[in-house]
Amino acid sequence: MPLSSLKPKMRPHSSLKQEFLKKWIMGLQRCSFSKKNMSILERKKAIKFSADIAMASARNGTTCWSRSLISNASKEGSDIHVVEQILGSESDRPAVENKVPTRRASVCKKIVKRSCRIRRRRRRRKCVASAPSSIAKHLVRKRREVLKSLIPGGEFMNEICLIEETLDYITSLRVQVDVMRSLASASVRASE
Amino acid sequence: MKSNPGTTETRSNLTASGGGQVTSFESLQFTDEIHRLILAPTTNNASSLTALLELPPPQAIELLHSSDSMKLIAASLPNVEDFKGSFRFPSNTGLTEPDARFSVFSGEANNSNEKRHSPESKNLSANLEKAVKSEPAETESSQPLVSDPTVDKRTIKRKDRENKVKGSRKKSKTAVNESSEDAEKLPYVHVRARRGQATDSHSLAERARREKINARMKFLQELVPGCNKISGTALVLDEIINHVQSLQRQVEFLSMRLAAVNPRIDFNLDSVFTSESGSLMDSNIPGLVMPAMWPEIQGDGNRQQYQHQWNVDALQQPVWGREVCNNYITPENSLLTYGSSANSATLQANQLKMEL
Repeated sequence: MPLSSLKPKMRPHSSLKQEFLKKWIMGLQRCSFSKKNMSILERKKAIKFSADIAMASARNGTTCWSRSLISNASKEGSDIHVVEQILGSESDRPAVENKVPTRRASVCKKIVKRSCRIRRRRRRRKCVASAPSSIAKHLVRKRREVLKSLIPGGEFMNEICLIEETLDYITSLRVQVDVMRSLASASVRASE
Repeated sequence: MKSNPGTTETRSNLTASGGGQVTSFESLQFTDEIHRLILAPTTNNASSLTALLELPPPQAIELLHSSDSMKLIAASLPNVEDFKGSFRFPSNTGLTEPDARFSVFSGEANNSNEKRHSPESKNLSANLEKAVKSEPAETESSQPLVSDPTVDKRTIKRKDRENKVKGSRKKSKTAVNESSEDAEKLPYVHVRARRGQATDSHSLAERARREKINARMKFLQELVPGCNKISGTALVLDEIINHVQSLQRQVEFLSMRLAAVNPRIDFNLDSVFTSESGSLMDSNIPGLVMPAMWPEIQGDGNRQQYQHQWNVDALQQPVWGREVCNNYITPENSLLTYGSSANSATLQANQLKMEL
């Protein structure tokens, strides 16, 4: 990802919001088409789901988190038609396929990590991180793991990638929240 | 090494006679191969080096001359390495004790020199600069050399050695920029090795990677509000994590709220926008503690976009109003519950902050 595209203040938010809204509504239509009377929780799920997919598809497969979101969503059989609706005939499908080898790699990584963790447990009692730099590294490493768990598809990324993805994810989340909030307030006003 | 005393003796004669006679005298002493090499550039070298060194003792000059001439000899000679080492510290020997002179001839002596004369490292570095600066001048002037590539290689090797030497001088606290300036002036160095840092490829790659990460972290700091004042990666990451979590939670709440407000999830927004009067973004969201932090909220412009959007899409939905009346009470109740849940969530967020 080119670094110039990451400068936050240069992002054209309005076009992004439009695109997101369009795709979101498309997805919602598709949802309601299939099920007629949904409970509130179902509705909420559907809303959030289509919002997420719309957000991810707005990236057009350029970012890792969007690809992993879409691939996660495509795996469930029930909602896959929503995904298809939103994505249309876009090029996100080949991006989805790219995730598969990384999953295998991640599984291998997890196995290795598990074995390392077992080894580490034996050593943990002994090693006392006395140097402040190692303590700092330990803290940073913990937080990095938390961040990886937050961002969709974060476990597969290295550090540089993780930070770039976080940047992008934060901006898209903000767009999502803005649009939803304005919609919610507007609909509240309309109902009054 | 055995040839050196002999050469030094000759040198002492040579320095007295001056530059002009140097070449002729040398040619008598050395083999024919060395003839051609030395004849052309020695005169230049002699003048430049004596000009550089201020009042050096005769021993230093001897060494200088010998090392200069040796430098130009083809790499086939076995003691080239030693002379390379000696060349790098020509004035060192002059300025320091005479014992150092002998140690100069061995490559490992560099370290011992430094360790002994660390307080004089300033002079060392200054001389290094001079010596290093004189190198390109000499190499450039010496056009009819054996082969430029070999000289290039030697200068590259010399730079590497200098860099390594500089790397080993971790405790010397002389001007930090000198070495980097050296690197910038010389044409052969491709990788910048800063003073006091190791120069092997692994650490360089590590440093490049770390710089990349730091640059991206700066962007994140700009993006997340309140991170600019914080210093330290762990705390900044804390803030980022909190921000991402809060955003995700907001999405959840908003989607729940939207689900509650309209009984059908495909809403008709034409009526929504026609009926509304105030600005969209003056959100009178009751109870929900939404930190409206980012300033990019567009008011009327956004609304107009929505309207255009909806006219284009032309949703055909049944009338909104009827259904809303039935559920009039329930959205408000649900909103109030959302308010409490939002508050509890922020409490949880604070608890998380404490834990982290």
